[in-house]
Amino acid sequence: MKPLFPSRALDWRVGQPLSRRALLGGVARGAVVTLALPPLAAMFNAGGTAYACDGVLPRRFGLWFWGNGNIPDRWTPTNTGDGDAWELSEQLAPLAALKHRLCVVTGLKSLLTNTVPHTSGAAGMLTATPLQSTGDDNTYGAATIDQVIAAAIGGSNIYRSVQTAASDCSGQSYTGPNSRNPPETDPYAFYERIFGETFIEPGKKGVVNPSLGLRRSALDAVMGDISRLNARLGAADKARLEQHLDGVRELEQRLAILEENPPNLEACERTPALSADFSDLLGRPQIEARNEAMSTMLAMALACDQTRVFAHFTHDPVSNLLFEEASSGHHDLTHNEGGDQPEVNAITVRLMEMLATTLQKLEDIEEGDGTLLQNCAVLACTEVSLAQTHAVDELPVVLAGGACGYFKQDHHYRSYSGENVTRLLISLQRSMEMNVSSFGSDAAEDDEGLSGIEA
Amino acid sequence: MHLLLALLSCTQDPTPAETRPAAPEVQSPDTRLKRLTDAQYRNVMRDLFGAEVVVPSSLDPDQRIEGLYAVGASYTTISSYGIEKYESAARSIAGQVMDSESLKAAWVPCTPVDVRDDDCASQAIAALGRKAWRRPLSAEELELLVLVAAEAGLVLDDFHEGLEVAFSALLMSPYLLYRVELGDGERFDDFELASRLSFFLWNTAPDEELLAAAEAGELSEEAGYSAQVDRLLADERSREGLRNFFSEMLQLDRLDSLSKDPTVFTYMSDTLGPSAREESLLGIEALVYEDDASYLDLFTTRRTFLDRTLAALYDVPAPEREGFGEVWLDIADGRRGFLGQASFLALQSHATSTSPTARGIFVREVLLCQVIPDPPADANTGIPEVSRDAATMRDRIAIHLEDPFCASCHVLTDPIGLGFENFDGIGRWREVENDVTIDASGELDGEAFVDAWQLGELIAAHPETGPCLSRTLLKYATGSLSDELDDSLQDWHAEGFEGAGHRVLWLFRDVALSPAFRTPGPVAEDSLSEDTGS
Repeated sequence: MKPLFPSRALDWRVGQPLSRRALLGGVARGAVVTLALPPLAAMFNAGGTAYACDGVLPRRFGLWFWGNGNIPDRWTPTNTGDGDAWELSEQLAPLAALKHRLCVVTGLKSLLTNTVPHTSGAAGMLTATPLQSTGDDNTYGAATIDQVIAAAIGGSNIYRSVQTAASDCSGQSYTGPNSRNPPETDPYAFYERIFGETFIEPGKKGVVNPSLGLRRSALDAVMGDISRLNARLGAADKARLEQHLDGVRELEQRLAILEENPPNLEACERTPALSADFSDLLGRPQIEARNEAMSTMLAMALACDQTRVFAHFTHDPVSNLLFEEASSGHHDLTHNEGGDQPEVNAITVRLMEMLATTLQKLEDIEEGDGTLLQNCAVLACTEVSLAQTHAVDELPVVLAGGACGYFKQDHHYRSYSGENVTRLLISLQRSMEMNVSSFGSDAAEDDEGLSGIEA
Repeated sequence: MHLLLALLSCTQDPTPAETRPAAPEVQSPDTRLKRLTDAQYRNVMRDLFGAEVVVPSSLDPDQRIEGLYAVGASYTTISSYGIEKYESAARSIAGQVMDSESLKAAWVPCTPVDVRDDDCASQAIAALGRKAWRRPLSAEELELLVLVAAEAGLVLDDFHEGLEVAFSALLMSPYLLYRVELGDGERFDDFELASRLSFFLWNTAPDEELLAAAEAGELSEEAGYSAQVDRLLADERSREGLRNFFSEMLQLDRLDSLSKDPTVFTYMSDTLGPSAREESLLGIEALVYEDDASYLDLFTTRRTFLDRTLAALYDVPAPEREGFGEVWLDIADGRRGFLGQASFLALQSHATSTSPTARGIFVREVLLCQVIPDPPADANTGIPEVSRDAATMRDRIAIHLEDPFCASCHVLTDPIGLGFENFDGIGRWREVENDVTIDASGELDGEAFVDAWQLGELIAAHPETGPCLSRTLLKYATGSLSDELDDSLQDWHAEGFEGAGHRVLWLFRDVALSPAFRTPGPVAEDSLSEDTGS
């Protein structure tokens, strides 16, 4: 189907009212044109084919992770409930324009023994499984939630999942122990990945390019190598090589999709080429600019159905990232700043501004009679609450988008009993239409969802 | 000349054979596939296709386990994004080969008679495969790739373009991306030994001579094996192996992404990190190759190599207008040895301040091979801000040593790290901090020191310094966790190293000849060891 507005705006400015949009009309970044557009309903029911959550548009999952926690006293909204019953707290204030799309969850707890500062908390939040050791080092004992969901819903896409970061970091997406999915940290490289050779202009059919077929034939030879090698391996290496084979299969499938059945969603469009210099300024990463650039592209990767799962990292647990205006690295400040930690607080607020940027990119893309964000569940979380004490109760969670109405919206849910954070992970999988009877292991294992946030 | 001296001293066992006991007979570590590290992949491509070949700047990142990429390579997997990058690199490099007349001539040694010429394709694939996979291809493997080339050649109506597809398959194969050195439970075959030696000593794939020795079965023979060990160590290319080992151990690769606030550290610049790495590596090379001196001298030597960036930072005259030159430091400069270098001092610091704790942990863990436990998860780690009563870092972190809860670990690290407080967060000398004179005295395992100049001597004299290098090199060479290496064997190497005057090339040779390196354990059957989080 032809797009209704072929030059539809792609790079909305955060916080703009929907009726007035910043449009980058294919010109250099920064040349902003504003124009008024008709209301949403008039725009999108005309075609009559795509409605949000009618089963036509896919559901997507996003993990949006930041390091080093929050300050619970300044994070937790005072009241609970729906709509006007609750208000955003000081640290959540930057999300005001998106409050109607949020379910803020407070009071959840990781039930894993908190043996390794930050790392145990991350294991509870992302895997619900105790850490495993390799010599003196630790690794996650199981796949992280983004990969659990990607394995179930990502299989038919060009990318089963993508990982990005707003700073040079390792990321926390793992397919299994010692199987890290490193995030792309360079916006230019990510642009090439999304809009380079795997990008098919909306409305175009698959390309019959002999080179794609020949790449598959080379990959077939590689799979033969893997199979012969596998026969000689012990169990430890078999598992590693299985991951390798999985990656080769994913690549081969990608080539097949490009040849035969490229995704073709109405909202898909190439984002403007990048021109900014993202290198550090005075020893400080341009984390906000990088976050915005990555978010714009992530949103379009979803809108183009190149992937249905993303994991985006601002920085890692324990990161000493030097934020603008901060007197010291983030982790250092969480421990060493005195009083009520104004600098740590300012960084947390800044991180929520960055989250708002990402979410707004998703909100600004119309899908059917709603927005892309409504078809997503975005789990924004971190590995501790108060980093100074490495606390793993009061874990801060912002759940955005509602996954097609699966989750309550404009809602603050507080778990007064300190429920197991695993329940949230179960609910998230169910929101992606996965059948989950139990999840996690050891003390973190649970078999219930978090019913208090389900609509 | 220097190299020749090093070679001679290295082949002469300084401990008479009759006084060194035989190596203990112990189980070798389990064998595991090793991913090529980023550096190894690049070196292999450079050796195959020349320094001009363009390899993508970003591949699948290495991960340290127990401090070494070499150990991480035995345990981690290649991500699906990594597979994508290696496939893309393989296609790009195969394309570059066919686009270059000289590379094409080198790797396609025959003139095809038609778009399909299986004989010619077979010659080319066999030749590249033998080098890239570090062993001859089996008949089955060769046949399969010849078929890939033939099919692609017919589709593209061009022999060389078809061969390019087969070359790309070779270059993205697991036989290239992993070191397949699994042994048969009792011994490694000749090609596996060649690969182990070459990656250990040169950080790249075997050269023609080593492959030929493997083909001739020479590496299974004691004399043939040790002759190759000596040849590799005497070759200039062993410098690459030495540099890579120390770069991994001392984390020098991290100097590429130093994050420092230049308003706090006015001598900070983009070139500081890379310059600091080169200073450390040039010093190690000189110590090992020119002097064949004791490793322990690394901590007391007054000689170093500086460029203009570092000379300015150290406040000494630049020895050369361009590049690095030799400088002899003086006690008035306050610094000597590796621990007086910007690489260590800047890496083990924060973005806006020093970190005595991080510096102390580095000394304990990396140089002495001791394990410092993580802080308890419920530790409240706040320290006071700068004030009149707490002007210096020593005052501010005093609580680490006063509070018994903190002190149990910090007593191991802070008294060492505070010894470097005369060097700021990028390694610039300073006498005062916030107008208060810095006290850099402390003690290391019962030995008192007044400043970093003396501390260097204590590190050199510490009984664990030599054994730690030998343990680390054994882990590096075998890609094994410390626990997988038998203690008695580790001790045997450490004692030999001491007997040999702690000479580093001697140690490389000793490890290359080690039963733990030369004989395989069983293939690893574990998934992972037990939980630690419960």
